[in-house]
Parts: sequence; C-alpha cells; structure tokens
Amino acid sequence: MNLPARLRTAAARGHARVTASALGPWQSAVVRIGFSFTWLLFLVREWPHRRELYGPDGPWNWDMAARLIDGNRAFTALMWSDSVVWFEIVYTLAIVSSALLLLGWRTRTMSVLFMIGVLSLQNRSIFVGDGGDNLVHLMAMYLVLTRCGRVWSLDARRAAREAERERPPRETTGVVLWAVTGSALLWAQLFTDARLFLTADGPLPGLGWATVLWGLWIVQAGWWFVRRHAPGEPRAVLDALANVAHNGALLVIMAEVCLLYASAGWYKIQGSRWQDGTALYYPLHLDYFSPWPALADVLAGSGTLVMVLTYGTVVAQVAFPFTLLNRRVKNAMLVLLMLEHLGIAVLLGLPFFSLAAIAADAVFLPTNFLRWAGARLGRARDRVTARAVRLPGQRARESDAESPAGTLVRPRTLRE
Amino acid sequence: MAETDPEPGPDGDAGGTRAPLSVPAQLVVAVGVAVAVVAATLHLAAAFLSVSPPNTLTKRHGAAIDDYVYPEFERVWKLFAPNPLQQNIAVQARAEIRTPDGGTATTGWRDLSAQDGAAIRHNPLPSHTQQNELRRAWEFYVGSHDAQERPQGARGDLSGQYIRRIVMLRFGREEDGGTVRRVQVRSATTPVAPPPWSDEKIDTKTVYRVLPWWTVTAEDLPGAMSR
Repeated sequence: MNLPARLRTAAARGHARVTASALGPWQSAVVRIGFSFTWLLFLVREWPHRRELYGPDGPWNWDMAARLIDGNRAFTALMWSDSVVWFEIVYTLAIVSSALLLLGWRTRTMSVLFMIGVLSLQNRSIFVGDGGDNLVHLMAMYLVLTRCGRVWSLDARRAAREAERERPPRETTGVVLWAVTGSALLWAQLFTDARLFLTADGPLPGLGWATVLWGLWIVQAGWWFVRRHAPGEPRAVLDALANVAHNGALLVIMAEVCLLYASAGWYKIQGSRWQDGTALYYPLHLDYFSPWPALADVLAGSGTLVMVLTYGTVVAQVAFPFTLLNRRVKNAMLVLLMLEHLGIAVLLGLPFFSLAAIAADAVFLPTNFLRWAGARLGRARDRVTARAVRLPGQRARESDAESPAGTLVRPRTLRE
Repeated sequence: MAETDPEPGPDGDAGGTRAPLSVPAQLVVAVGVAVAVVAATLHLAAAFLSVSPPNTLTKRHGAAIDDYVYPEFERVWKLFAPNPLQQNIAVQARAEIRTPDGGTATTGWRDLSAQDGAAIRHNPLPSHTQQNELRRAWEFYVGSHDAQERPQGARGDLSGQYIRRIVMLRFGREEDGGTVRRVQVRSATTPVAPPPWSDEKIDTKTVYRVLPWWTVTAEDLPGAMSR
C-alpha cells in the first residue's frame, strides 16, 4: 500500500474507533470518582470555615468579589444573590452534587452541577485557592463532556437492569430532574444579575454560559426523546456524537496531565536549587508547609536523600509524557508519582492538592488493574453487606453478579 | 496510553455490528468528529502556549491566548519552580487602641502567620483559612503595590482592603482591652538557612516591610457589607 492509501485507512480506522465507543470507561470512571471524592472531602472539611472562605461576609466580601469579577468575568452562581441563604444553598448543592457524582447517580446532570459548584465557590474567592483547586477546576469542566458513568456507577447498575426489560423505562426521575434544573436556570436567567449570555462572558471566546448551560439542558431532552421515540438511526448518531465528545475530552484530560508534569519539570530544570540538589530541603522548612517538623527534620537530615529525591522529582516529571510510549515504564512511573504525592500530602500538609494530582494520574492506570481492583472492592463490599444484613438469598447473591465490575453496561472491553 | 493502543482481534468490531448509517447520518457524525478534532487541537495548543515561557508564538498571539485561557482555563502549575520559596514570609500586625479610660495605646506586634503555622502543625488536613488565606492575600498585596506602598490599579485597592479585613477578622473590634482605631501591618521575611551539609553562607537576618498605619473603617470590620 502506498502512503496516501495507508493514511486513508488509518484515518478511517481512527474515525470508526472514536465514534464506536467511549474509550477508557474505567479510567474515566476513576477520574470521576477521584475528583468528586477530593472535592467532597474538601467541602466537608471546610464546612466550619465555609462562610469565611466563600460566604458573603468573609474577608473577601461579596462586594470585593463583585468588583474583581466585573473585570475578569468568571462564572460564579454565588454572585447571583448576596444573601446568606443563597450561599448556604449553593454550598450544600456543591456537597450533594459531589456525593452523587461520586456514586454515579444521573452522572451527566451531576457532572454539570458539580462543575457549577466548583466554579461558583472557587471563582467567588480566587485568593484562597492553590494548585489543587486549579486542577479540580479544570477537570470539573472536562468531566462534563465525558461518559464517565458507564462503569462503577448507579447509572450503570440501572442500565444493566433496564437492559433486561423490553420497553424503555418512563424515566420519571430524569424528567423531574430536568424540569427542576431548567426552572432554576430560567430563574437565574430572568430574575438575577447572572451574566448568562449567548456569546459573551463564557468559558471560551464566543461561547457564553447561557449557550453552554441551556445547550446541555436541551441535549438532555433530546437524548431522552430519541431514546424513547426514535431508537433507530437518530439514537445511533447521538450515541456516536457522545462517544466523540467523550473521547476528545479524555484525550484532553490525558494531555493536560502530561502538560502539567512537563511544565513543572521543565521549569524546575532551570532552577539553581533543583540543580544543586537541595530544592526539597527548603519547602520542608517553610512554616506554612510543615505540619510535621520532626518528620521533615528526619528527611532533611540526610543530604544524599534530599539530593536523590530532588533529582528524582525532576527526572520523573520531565520524563513522564515519554514513558507513556512504554506500558511497563509508564506503570512504574505512575506508582512513583502517586507515592510522591502521598509524601507531599503528609510532609507538606497538602492533602487535597495531592488527592487531586493522584486522581489526575489515575487516568493512566491500566484497565486490567482497575478491573481487578474494582472486582476486589466489590467482593469486599459484598462480604460487608452480607455480614451486616444477614438476609441470605436477598442480599448475599453471588458476589460477582453484584460487584461493581459486574454492573457495567458492557462497553467494548479494552485490552491493556 | 493503554486506552489508545490499536486493538487487534475480533472484539474490535463489537461496536460495528449495528446497521450502517445512512449518508446524512454519516455526515453528521463526520462533522462531529471534525469539530472535536479541531476543538481539542486548539484547546491543547492554547494550553501549551499558556504555560510555556514567552516565545515567538506567544508574542504574536498573546492577546488571543489570554482571551482563550482566562478566566476559566488558567493553569497555575509552576509548583516550586523554577526554585522553591526559600524564605519564611510572616505577616504581622499591631493596633492603636482607645483604652476604656479614654487614652490611646499601641499594642505589640502580633504574628498572624505564626498563628497559622501553629494551626497547621500536627494537622493532617490544614484548612485553606490557615494555609492560603493570609499567605495568598499577602502575595496579592505585594503583587499590586509598588515599593512606596502605592496601590496599582483597582486590584491594588482591593488587596489593601482584603489585608485589612483579614487583620480585623483576627483581631476583632477589641484588642488588648481597647477599641481598635488604626492598624499597622508589616511583613517579616526570614531566609531559610542553607542545609547543614552546605558550605553556602547567607544572611538569615529578618527583613521587615512596614506598611503605613490604616484607619479602621466600617468596611474593614468582619461581617460589614458596604451597601
């Protein structure tokens, strides 16, 4: 075959691949679970401080936020009203949507609410965030475009049950949820100062938040309609488009993780402290990042250890994108990076940053490992529920049938 | 990237068992793929150029890249790079108070960052109020004021007010048994001493940046909405 013909075949094969299925179902699920868990844990931890951080009367008060947002045009539902009640509603909704996204209940709707929660709180007070918040911010937007609830979710369990029935279900819950979110959006559009425009002040140039949010809302309705009334070709087309969006977003997520490590590494190479092998010593002696001074002293006591870890960090970060070319090296590198983040979580007192970084790394975990871990967790859960419930025949079914790995809608299996 | 390995074998066709799409349907899907490819390429190009050092392309298209990236796709990833912070920057404050007998007194300096540090010590889950609030507010202030403490633009005014409100939140209206009338803020910067195995010599003396006295207004008090 000559080159143009080969290219054409490759393009055709690629086209078929990205339209036929949502790739990386377990990887996208683990990213969904990782980020919703990180944000949920953060919101619960900050519950006592929520009004100081994001409330109308915090040191960064509502008026100051309004003045800043007048300039940068960031999205935050907290500016729709300055009442404390509204603030409490938004904070509570952020918690609830994180928990439901974690469980994969009405995943697509929850991913939109999750994004609204993340953007609303973070953009309200941008000066209390750090690198971890930034990562959650980005991923919350990308997750909206993915089909991240196809495995390890309540949605997947429901879909498996429905597949056994003949007629599609009535979807009362979905319709109610759709009506409620639509009414809320209509209220924001008509009765608040929300900057919901078609083309201005949106996430991307020329794309306003009204277009994004109403668009997603209309797509949900279209999806429901097609599923119920046009199961033939329209359904196949929508399915293909959803796969394309998912695969594109997943690619962007993976590329962003590479970019994160590459840029962090490349800038470090230029730093004199990373060159002389003492860089790690300094953060361990900053008062804002030393929750365990005695532990930090032990680590910082050895010049050789500090040097090895300093160089190791730079090598791992710079090399990471290239290790993806080899599965074994990639997996070894993932383990190293995750361990390093665990270390950062404890030593530098940055648990939420580290959790977010680990959740992002998880997009590269091998399918085999994820399925194995899912099956083990499922069996462990079944043992616990069987012990707790003690109703033989009702809950203690064959472990695999009820385990999360067994509840998938059987997307095309991807071999690692 | 495990997910994009070309997949040999029969189950690669699992998705293709349904009936082939009609031409209009194929067109719709093809347009969808094209849009996704273009969007992902543009997005990643903007992402790359927003974190790269200034270069030929960012000089030519800087405004367009900023327009694309801000406000929602900003990336703050220069973690501890090019060099980690090598100094402890503490924000301290003192107050001029009106004593109950009608006189005026000045309190001693209170190290607000040391209080943050104490709250972080032995805390497995430090709060953003302890780790980020004052630390980043001070960065914000420094970034939007000149050496003569003159605010630069609207952000300068906001950052000054933000610092005052944080100080007043921690002081409260009363400090040392008197009503706070004015506050003064300073930063105390102490370089971290080089490691014991290093032969490097640096001066670890604390350097102060002392801000002028600020009169406390109603807007600086916790809970005050200025409307």
